[in-house]
Amino acid sequence: MSEKEVLLDVQHLGMYFGSGAGALRAVDDVSFQIRRGEVFGLVGESGCGKTTTGRTIIRLYNASSGSVYFDGVRIVAGTASYYEEIDSVREKLKKGEIDKASADKRIAELKEEIASAKRDHKAAKKDLVTQIQMIFQDPIASLNPRMTVREIIAEGLIIRGEKDKKVIDEKVYEMLELVGLVREHASRYPHEFSGGQRQRIGIARAVIMNPELLIADEPVSALDVSIQAQVINLLNELRERLGLTILFIAHDLSVVKYFSDRIGVMYFGKMVEMASSDELFAHPIHPYTRSLLSAIPLPDPIYEKSRKRIVYNPLAEHDYSAQKPTFREIIPGHFVSCNDAEEAKYRKEFNL
Amino acid sequence: MENKLSVRDLRVSFRTTNGKVQAVRGISFDLAKGETLAIVGESGSGKSVTSKAILGIQAANAITESGEIIYDGKDLLKISEEDFHKIRGDKISMIFQDPMSSLNPIVKIGKQLTEAMILKGKARQKESRANFNTYLKNLDKRTGEALGDEAKKAKFSKQCKDFDTFEFRHVKLEGEFNRAKEAAVEGSEDIELLAFELEKNAAKDVTFRVNTICSRAKASLHEYVVAHDKAEELMSLAESVKKAAPAAAKGGDTAAITADLNKMKAIFDDAIAKPAPDFFRMGYYIVFSGKSLPDMPVPQMNEELLRYLDDNFMKEFISSAEKGIRRSADVSYEKMERAIAVLKEKRSVFERESLDKKEAYAAHKAMTSAVEATIDHLKLVKDSFSYTFGPSVKSELERYFGAISKNAEAIRRHDKQQRKYDRLVEKGKTPDWKVAEASITDMELVKANIIHIIDRLAEHYAELLAERKNRDYAAETIAAIDYLKENATGVAAKVTKRIAKDRAIKLMDEVGIAEPRKRYNQYPFEFSGGMRQRIVIAIALAANPDILICDEPTTALDVTIQAQILELINKLKKERDLSIIFITHDLGVVANMADRVAVMYAGKIVEYGTAEEIFYDPRHPYTWALLSSMPDLDTKEKLESIPGTPPNMIYPPKGDAFAARNKYAMQIDFEAQPPLFRVTDTHYAATWLLHPDAPKIERPKIISERIERMKEKRGESK
Repeated sequence: MSEKEVLLDVQHLGMYFGSGAGALRAVDDVSFQIRRGEVFGLVGESGCGKTTTGRTIIRLYNASSGSVYFDGVRIVAGTASYYEEIDSVREKLKKGEIDKASADKRIAELKEEIASAKRDHKAAKKDLVTQIQMIFQDPIASLNPRMTVREIIAEGLIIRGEKDKKVIDEKVYEMLELVGLVREHASRYPHEFSGGQRQRIGIARAVIMNPELLIADEPVSALDVSIQAQVINLLNELRERLGLTILFIAHDLSVVKYFSDRIGVMYFGKMVEMASSDELFAHPIHPYTRSLLSAIPLPDPIYEKSRKRIVYNPLAEHDYSAQKPTFREIIPGHFVSCNDAEEAKYRKEFNL
Repeated sequence: MENKLSVRDLRVSFRTTNGKVQAVRGISFDLAKGETLAIVGESGSGKSVTSKAILGIQAANAITESGEIIYDGKDLLKISEEDFHKIRGDKISMIFQDPMSSLNPIVKIGKQLTEAMILKGKARQKESRANFNTYLKNLDKRTGEALGDEAKKAKFSKQCKDFDTFEFRHVKLEGEFNRAKEAAVEGSEDIELLAFELEKNAAKDVTFRVNTICSRAKASLHEYVVAHDKAEELMSLAESVKKAAPAAAKGGDTAAITADLNKMKAIFDDAIAKPAPDFFRMGYYIVFSGKSLPDMPVPQMNEELLRYLDDNFMKEFISSAEKGIRRSADVSYEKMERAIAVLKEKRSVFERESLDKKEAYAAHKAMTSAVEATIDHLKLVKDSFSYTFGPSVKSELERYFGAISKNAEAIRRHDKQQRKYDRLVEKGKTPDWKVAEASITDMELVKANIIHIIDRLAEHYAELLAERKNRDYAAETIAAIDYLKENATGVAAKVTKRIAKDRAIKLMDEVGIAEPRKRYNQYPFEFSGGMRQRIVIAIALAANPDILICDEPTTALDVTIQAQILELINKLKKERDLSIIFITHDLGVVANMADRVAVMYAGKIVEYGTAEEIFYDPRHPYTWALLSSMPDLDTKEKLESIPGTPPNMIYPPKGDAFAARNKYAMQIDFEAQPPLFRVTDTHYAATWLLHPDAPKIERPKIISERIERMKEKRGESK
């Protein structure tokens, strides 16, 4: 689908809290791909599952279903969907809708899938930590107050097995300079730094592992305006210099638009629209995206006084009683969650 | 426009172990009625300190060095804690940044929402009654003086009594009508939503909601809302809907119930569209005419009632009252002339080298009584200068005489410390502490303050006297009658537990909390951050405040919720003529909310103007930096971040505080603080760049381009 190779491939990822019918489907059948060197933005309101998606990819949670391929290797494999299918096959067999032989065959296949998923899951554990790194929202809460900056930044290296103190120090100094701090800062404690500097330490800690993919979970939300710009500029610089791929999770749409190449919009655990950032902002298709875009405040008083927010009411917008929506490509590279009727409607709107 | 709040030369410092942190260094601003003032700046610029000073909730180590915060004729920096109780949370309310710190973790949300409503409800009733009585009494007295004639005097006194009687009758009638009408409106809205959800097969709690609708139907029965002919039909419909509800709730046939509901909605909508009778006039008619109401359609009846009221009462009452108000003003002007003389005479007492305690206090007493005599109790907009004069001078005097002993003590302590330090140095040690500067009150400054207060009041009186001819007494009389009506309504508005709960649930719904009935009985820890913030906003709004201070209320929320909350605040602002101080660092939000913007840096206002001026014609380099450091939807180029960090406010820089981080800084920026230069009548900026001798510097390209782009966009959209 593209000239660049796919680095992260998320397929039908699901993360359920609780089980059975009452389970909270925080992430429900989310699929997207991130190409090498790209910044992929994930937006949506709080509670829509964007942070959970990020955390599931780095395996802070064990995925319920679906899989994640990193550089071609399956690193996350959920099994819930296979179990569900086994149940449904057995149900069908009971009702006599299928014969025993084909049912057994299907169940055997599914069991094989489960076994392979578990195998992959186990095997992927080691490499993952160093290849994917995460930056957290709150720089105060995510740095251990009892460790010096040197210890914080070097921790990953030591865990990976680096023993030579000289090498570690060199690496730490290099990172500090890379993120715009100085060598002397290494022996200080986190509380001695301002908010923006603390976030830089968080970034240094992530970057020292030489990751391929950086998951930035709201890295600037907790910072002051002037500091926000510093951190965004730093991330941009690092991305150019180190060729990082970034999954950027945020709710500030102006920042996401500025920073990302492609953007996925999530709503209640589901991906509802995905496109390149210019395309998404120029031609939002899904009613939720339109509502979201209409809510962005801009530094322009006259425009602001006349801005009308579009209210999104899923019940009024969609009629999914006949057919459930799926994720479809309406324009090349522009995906929307819709069913047949809606697809036709959207296509008509854009004269396709 | 009427000023609600004025802050004058406010200075706040914090005592810390390392020295005195000067958090706010002399800021002044006014807040007009129904206006939103946004205060923008980085953290540590003194925004929150200012707002906390207004609410009187400063940290224990805060020192208010000087300044005034004038609200409703009182200086909030000088009134007692007891008096502050009546203002804080009720008249001036605040929404904090961190919702968890303003909620009690062990009390249910519902209780926290209704507690204040019930308490304040009682207090308000009392206050309204007191306001009403005092005003009417004053009016009676002054009008009596103006009329002179004993018979006329007695007649007006009787009229005042009559006014009292029928006014409260009117409030009762209107209250009944409003409750019925509100029920009809809510019933109609509920039905619309329920019918829609039934159609989509997504309705929840059908039985409960149908019951609510039925009780609303019952509440809406009123002579002028759902009248006799429709009442029976509505109640029978309600009965049948109630019966059908359980079946529909289980997923049965919904067509019948929907049809009935729609019929009910039609009745409600008809009732809502009906014109409302004028209860004020009706109250008089019912009380004094001795006849039953004329039987005719509402619009005609209103006119008939108006004629009756005007002929028998209103015209005469207004003309008498106007005389009274005029008389009161005349008395006040006379006293002002006298007060000016007293002020001039006593001013000399405070010009001496050192003040004599006895003499100074005697002068203060004389002046205060002269000033208090000028207060016109029939003027609705209180003259804050006269009201605050006494306490302001007194507190300055106390500071002056208190400082005599305090200064000596401070110097003694400083010398002791210095000796200790020197001893250590002699021994060849380098102490790891510094000698703190002695905190000495500048006696000359205090004296200058007193003289300034006196001069200002004299000037103010001279201005008032000059404007004397331009007063519109007719308009003031109408406003006075509205004021009386409003307070009468306040007396009748009783808040019971049930009303408070209904109101709380409605508020929760308004601020966007789903399933408010269920949420009403939950504890704060069961809510997410965004939800908690909404609860806090609901609590702040429940008190129906005069001034709302919002300290970064939406920073932690996402765009859709943020937009909802901002819309809510804007809506309430319009409805209630609320004045808002909005503290934030998100300039998009500022553009949305603000009428005027003040940009703060290092405890000073560096630029202020209307929102349009600040966004389309910013002048201060710090404003430039703020604007260019945030991306908007069209930004492609590298963001211009502000280098470095804000200065240490223990040792504030000598010149412009922003100079060290400013790429446009000139030599003078490091040497002297720039005054506020005038750009237009509403737009001021404190930067030497505006000095006529300064080199001309263009604002950064990124901002100019953005402003151009915004212009283009608007051109297209038009």
